Amino acid sequence: MAKNNFSSKIFLYLVSAVIFMFFFSFMLVPLYNVFCEVTGLNGKIYGPSSFFVKDDVEKKDSREIRIKFLSQVNESAPVNFFPSSNEVRVWTDKVSKTSYIAENTTDKQLTLTIIPSVSPGLAAENVKKIQCFCFEEQILKPYERQEWPVRFYVSSEVGDNVNDIYLSYTLFETDRVLTDNMNHGK
Amino acid sequence: MSAVIENHEHDHHGPQKGILRWLFTTNHKDIGTLYLWFSFLMFLTGGAMAMGIRAELFEPGLQLMDPIRYNQLVTMHGLIMIFGAVMPAFVGLANWLIPMQIGAPDMALPRMNNLSFWLLPSAFIILLSTAFMEGGMPGFGWTFYAPLSTNYPNIAYFVFAVHIMGISSIMGSINVIVTIMNMRAPGMTLMQMPLFVWSWLITAYLLIAVMPVLAGAVTMLLMDAYFGTSFFDAAGGGDPVLFQHVFWFFGHPEVYIMILPAFGITSHIISTFSRKPLFGHSSMVYAMVSIAVLSFVVWAHHMFTVGMPLAAELFFMWATMIIAIPTGVKVFNWVATIFKGSITYETPMLFAIAFVVLFTIGGLSGLMLAITPADFQYHDTYFVVAHFHYVLVPGAIFSIMAAVYYWLPKWTGNMYDEKMGKLHFWLSFIGVNVTFFPQHFVGLAGMPRRYADYALQFAEWNAVSSIGAFLFGLSQLLFLYIVIKAVFAGKKATAQVWDGAEGLEWTVDSPAPYHTFETPPKVNG
Repeated sequence: MAKNNFSSKIFLYLVSAVIFMFFFSFMLVPLYNVFCEVTGLNGKIYGPSSFFVKDDVEKKDSREIRIKFLSQVNESAPVNFFPSSNEVRVWTDKVSKTSYIAENTTDKQLTLTIIPSVSPGLAAENVKKIQCFCFEEQILKPYERQEWPVRFYVSSEVGDNVNDIYLSYTLFETDRVLTDNMNHGK
Repeated sequence: MSAVIENHEHDHHGPQKGILRWLFTTNHKDIGTLYLWFSFLMFLTGGAMAMGIRAELFEPGLQLMDPIRYNQLVTMHGLIMIFGAVMPAFVGLANWLIPMQIGAPDMALPRMNNLSFWLLPSAFIILLSTAFMEGGMPGFGWTFYAPLSTNYPNIAYFVFAVHIMGISSIMGSINVIVTIMNMRAPGMTLMQMPLFVWSWLITAYLLIAVMPVLAGAVTMLLMDAYFGTSFFDAAGGGDPVLFQHVFWFFGHPEVYIMILPAFGITSHIISTFSRKPLFGHSSMVYAMVSIAVLSFVVWAHHMFTVGMPLAAELFFMWATMIIAIPTGVKVFNWVATIFKGSITYETPMLFAIAFVVLFTIGGLSGLMLAITPADFQYHDTYFVVAHFHYVLVPGAIFSIMAAVYYWLPKWTGNMYDEKMGKLHFWLSFIGVNVTFFPQHFVGLAGMPRRYADYALQFAEWNAVSSIGAFLFGLSQLLFLYIVIKAVFAGKKATAQVWDGAEGLEWTVDSPAPYHTFETPPKVNG
C-alpha cells in the first residue's frame, strides 16, 4: 500500500511537470519579448521615445551616421510603399525627419500595419523615434496616397563600430492574414 | 492473501485469442511488440518516401515530381522517421526490456500503456490522411517554421497529429519513470540498474520536459493560423525568430531523446560480446545525465544565422562543444570495454561496433557545425543533412537493429539466421555510408538542403548517394524477412542465449513467458 501511495505521488508530480512545461512554452513569449526589449536583440523598436535636447551637444561629441531606408510589402498587399529618400546622413542626438509614401492601388479601404526593423540589431535601441507611422494602424481610402512622416534621432550611445544603420519597414495588410488562412480550409 | 494466490497458481491466464488480444492488452511484452511492429511499418513508410526523394535527386532537373510534392515527401519523411519510427521503437524496447531488466512483473501503469500505444496509429492516420486531401500533405519541413507553416493548408491535421503523438510519448515516459522508481527488484539500487534502464530514465525526464513545449509551439501555430493571434506573425507584432527559439528549445533535447537509449543498448551489447563487464558503469550514467542537462542550453546552435549578438553565439558554441566531453567519455568507455576482451562478431556486435564508429563520425561533424563562423557556411547545406543522418541512421537506427538481433532470441525463443543477419549488416553498413558520406562533400561544396533540384556540379555525388540509398532501403526488406523467420522458426534459444550476457532478462526462459517475475528476484548488492 505504501508503494502505491508512492507511485501515485510520482505520477501526480510528473503530470504537474507536464502541465507546467506546457504553460512554460507560452511564458517564453513574454520572456522573449522582455529579453529583446532589454537587449535590442531582434532589431525591434518599441513605442515612441520622448525627445530631450542636450544643450551641451557639441560637434565633437556628435558624429555622422548614414541611415538607409528600406521598404517591403508583405504578401503582395495592393499598396505602393517606398521611402521619399533612400539615404540620409544624420548627426547623433540631432533630430531628423524623413517620410515614407504609401498608395492604395485598389478601390477598397485598406487597414495596414507597418513593422519596423533595424539592422544591425544591436543598434536598434539607439534609434529613437519621436514620431512614426509604425506606432499605430494606418488606413488608406480607395486610391489614396499618403505621406507618412518619421521623426527620429540616433543616440550618441550607439556603438563606435556602427557607421551605417538600415531602417526597414515591412507593410502588412492587417485583416488579410486571418481571412487568408480561413480560405485555405475551403 | 498468499493463500488466494496459491489457489490460482495453475490458472495462469495466457493471452486472449485473436485481434482483441492486441487491442485490449495491458501486457508489457504485447505492447512492446505492438510498438516495435508499428515502428517498423513507419520505418518502411518513411523509407519509401526517402526512396522517392533520392530517386528525384538521382539526376539534376525535375523528373518524377514537382517541388511541392518533393517538399511534402521531405517533411513527411522527417516526421514519420522521428515520431513514427525511432521514438516508438525505443518505447517498444523499453516496454519489453525495462520490466525484465529490473525484475518487475509489468509496467506500473498498464492501462495507460495500452492507451499510449493505440494513440500512435490514430495520430499517423490523421497525419497521413492529408495525402488524400486538397492541399496535400504538410510541406514546410519537419521543423515547421512559422509563418511558413501557418499559411499552409491542412495545418490543423498536422497540429492535432503532433498533439496526439506528444500525449502518447508523455504517457509512455510517465509510465517508464513510475516503473523504474517503484518496481525495481528488492536490493537493486539506482546505481545498479542496467544502463538501458538508466538511459531510458533520463530520456523519459527529457520527454516530460520538452514534449509539452512542442505541444505549446503547435498550439500557438494553430492559434496564429485560425484564431487571429500573432505569436509568430510580424504583421500583428509577433516574431518569427521566437518560433525558432521555442521549437529548438524542444528540438535539441529531442535529438538526445533519440540517441540516449541507443547509448544504453550499445553498452549492453559491447560488454556481452567482449565478455567483459562494461568499463566505467557509473561514469556512463554521469555522462548521460550531463548530456541531458546540457541539451537544454544549446538550442540556438540550430539558428546561428538568425542574427544573435556575439556573446550569445559564443555561449551556444562553447556549450555545444562541451557536450563532446561526456560523449567522448562514453565512446572511450566502449573502446576500453572492447580492449583486451574475448570478442566475437555476432550480428548485434557488428551493429554495435558500427554504431560507435559511425556515430562518432556524426558527432565530429556536429562539432564542426558547432563552430559559429564555420556554421555560417554549413548552415542549411547537405553537410547538415549528412551530419544528422550519420547520428540518426547508423546511430539510433543501427542501435535499434542491434537491440532487435540481441534480444530477438529472448522474445521469440528462436535464434535468428546468423548468416542472413551478417549479410543484412554488411548491406546496411555499405548502403548507409555510400548514401551519406558523399553528402558531406556536396554540402561543403555548397549544395543547399530542401530543394528538388541542384546545380550540375553536384550530379555525380548525388547519383552515388541515391544508389547507396536504394541499397540501404532494399536491404531492410531482408531485415523484415529475418525477423519474421525467427518468429516462426529457427534454432531454439537457451535462456542464457549469449554466453557473455548479464542481467535479469537472461534468467527467464526463452521465449520469455507471458508473465515474468511475479515474485521479485533477489538482487545482491
